[in-house]
Amino acid sequence: MIRSLEDVSRLAKEKGPKKLAVLSPEDEEFMRAVKRSWEAGYIEPVLIGDRGKMDRVAEKVGFDIGRFDTIEENDRQTVSDLGIGMLFSGKLSIVSKGQIPTSYIYRSVIRAESKAGSGMTVSVMSLWEIPGVDHLVAFTDSGVNIKPDFKAKVEIIKNAVFLGHLLGYPRPKIGVLSSQRGFGEMMPSFRDYKSLRKLAEAGGLGECEVVKGVSFSDIFLGTRGRMKSHEQVDLARTPHVILVPCLDTGNIICKLDLFLNVKRCSLTVTSKGAVCIPARSDMSDSIEGQIAMGVVVADRMEKEVH
Amino acid sequence: MTSTFKETVKEAKEGGVKKRIAVPSPKKHHMEPISRAAKEGFITPLLIGNGKAIEAMIGNSPLASLSYQIVEAGNSAETLRTAISLTRDGQADILLQGGVDQKTFMNAVLDVKTGLLKGKLASYVSVLQLHQIGKLVLVTDTFLNNFPGIVEKQLIVENALGLAGLLGMDQPKIAALAAIEQVNPSISSTLDAAILSKMSERKQFGKAFIEGPLDMDCALSQTAAARKGLQSVVTGNADIYLVPEIETGYQLIQAIVFFGKIETAGIILGTVKPVIPDLPFLSDEDRFIELALAAMISNKGVSHG
Repeated sequence: MIRSLEDVSRLAKEKGPKKLAVLSPEDEEFMRAVKRSWEAGYIEPVLIGDRGKMDRVAEKVGFDIGRFDTIEENDRQTVSDLGIGMLFSGKLSIVSKGQIPTSYIYRSVIRAESKAGSGMTVSVMSLWEIPGVDHLVAFTDSGVNIKPDFKAKVEIIKNAVFLGHLLGYPRPKIGVLSSQRGFGEMMPSFRDYKSLRKLAEAGGLGECEVVKGVSFSDIFLGTRGRMKSHEQVDLARTPHVILVPCLDTGNIICKLDLFLNVKRCSLTVTSKGAVCIPARSDMSDSIEGQIAMGVVVADRMEKEVH
Repeated sequence: MTSTFKETVKEAKEGGVKKRIAVPSPKKHHMEPISRAAKEGFITPLLIGNGKAIEAMIGNSPLASLSYQIVEAGNSAETLRTAISLTRDGQADILLQGGVDQKTFMNAVLDVKTGLLKGKLASYVSVLQLHQIGKLVLVTDTFLNNFPGIVEKQLIVENALGLAGLLGMDQPKIAALAAIEQVNPSISSTLDAAILSKMSERKQFGKAFIEGPLDMDCALSQTAAARKGLQSVVTGNADIYLVPEIETGYQLIQAIVFFGKIETAGIILGTVKPVIPDLPFLSDEDRFIELALAAMISNKGVSHG
């Protein structure tokens, strides 16, 4: 069972190197992360992007990229299509986002999944490592679906449960968030919570459990609880997966890592492998950790599938 | 500028006159923060309900030796009615939810005819004490408004600016949050944020400055923003965070409270007097601070909401 990002980097070293395409590593932080990941033995990179820019930043971080496959491409959608295409044709195990917005990758993956007829929905999981919690916690969907309806939420949960199982959580707990309060009309997100809980109980979401309650208060204090002091809060109760009601909520909360004592690592699991989704503002240490996660997930997927 | 809750307590005391706090159907767990604020000398509780039961509850608690008033009333509907009319008529300065259930309380407070609305819109603001940067930060709306449109967001900002002014924020910097920092027509929060940002550029919010859309990394960190090619006085230095809607607001504040163990206090703005709803994720300490915050607002009172 993977309990921390340290476990992830240890395993990545053990299972690597895996072939990974980086989409537009055109700034120093991304290139430094690729360099370190290669040095650590996680990956064998394929670099796709603006040749001039990649050369410049590689030189700046002291990385000789002449020895790797490099594909010159300036159009961002094409960069993304090329990388995802190689993942789906089995030429490589992992793709990592570089300095391009997630929406390009989202489009490429949707097209590729539809071509492959997998029926898989695309969603992003942002994993947090939280001190005092003995497992990683996935916020989802933090990157793709703007306002997922019930059907989309079912698919988003299935993706997260799949990842949870890969990480070694046999029956992941899922918190379905809704801002339903004691007043006002019933919110769609609360209706979805009730339906998802029923569906999970009936086994319709696979091996997982939707926990009772729709807010962090419910999770940590109980649905009728009150907090007397912060000391009474036991973070160990944090579920493995937090399903957020919409993209704004997921993305805004998962990036609290810049403020809280947590580490973040984001990825998408496609039917053909992992795609690392670091934020364009992430620093090289964080990106390196996210690449390591991609390696571990890819390794475990290969074993599942083949 | 008020940069800690300790200063808020000091300012609460500076009014000289004790603020009268209306508490309908008080329960035992309300006593700790109320007694403490009474002992610190900035409030007098008006406990509304069954006199005998309230006296029994006070028993030997610290409140027993302090000044308080009991207003006799029957069931919780009646205690709430009394509390609201005392507040509206100026016999109470601050209203607490007390032991009334949230639905009854909020409906009564927000009732257009018989409630406590001052202007067009009431909103809830969470005040955070951030030790790392040594200042208080506001997050709004984290409780009241579900899916505000641009008109409502403008009023939410104005309510928050009223409080920011009382806290001595001279030129408040506001981060209008969204999932991404680029304007994307299919993500409505980015459109609203962009419009508010443009309005502030045209000085429609006075000296306050709104930047948006900002995703959380850009809002929290100047370095992160710079890597995304974004230069602004707000990035890494916001005084007020405006959330796009309640799904984000209500969970964001709780994520901060639980994962960050951050002290917060919340208050309803846009009402004739400060109103404090009873939210589960506040500690006794936080509830004491809320009373101080409300008393401070009441002291400086002119521009509440």
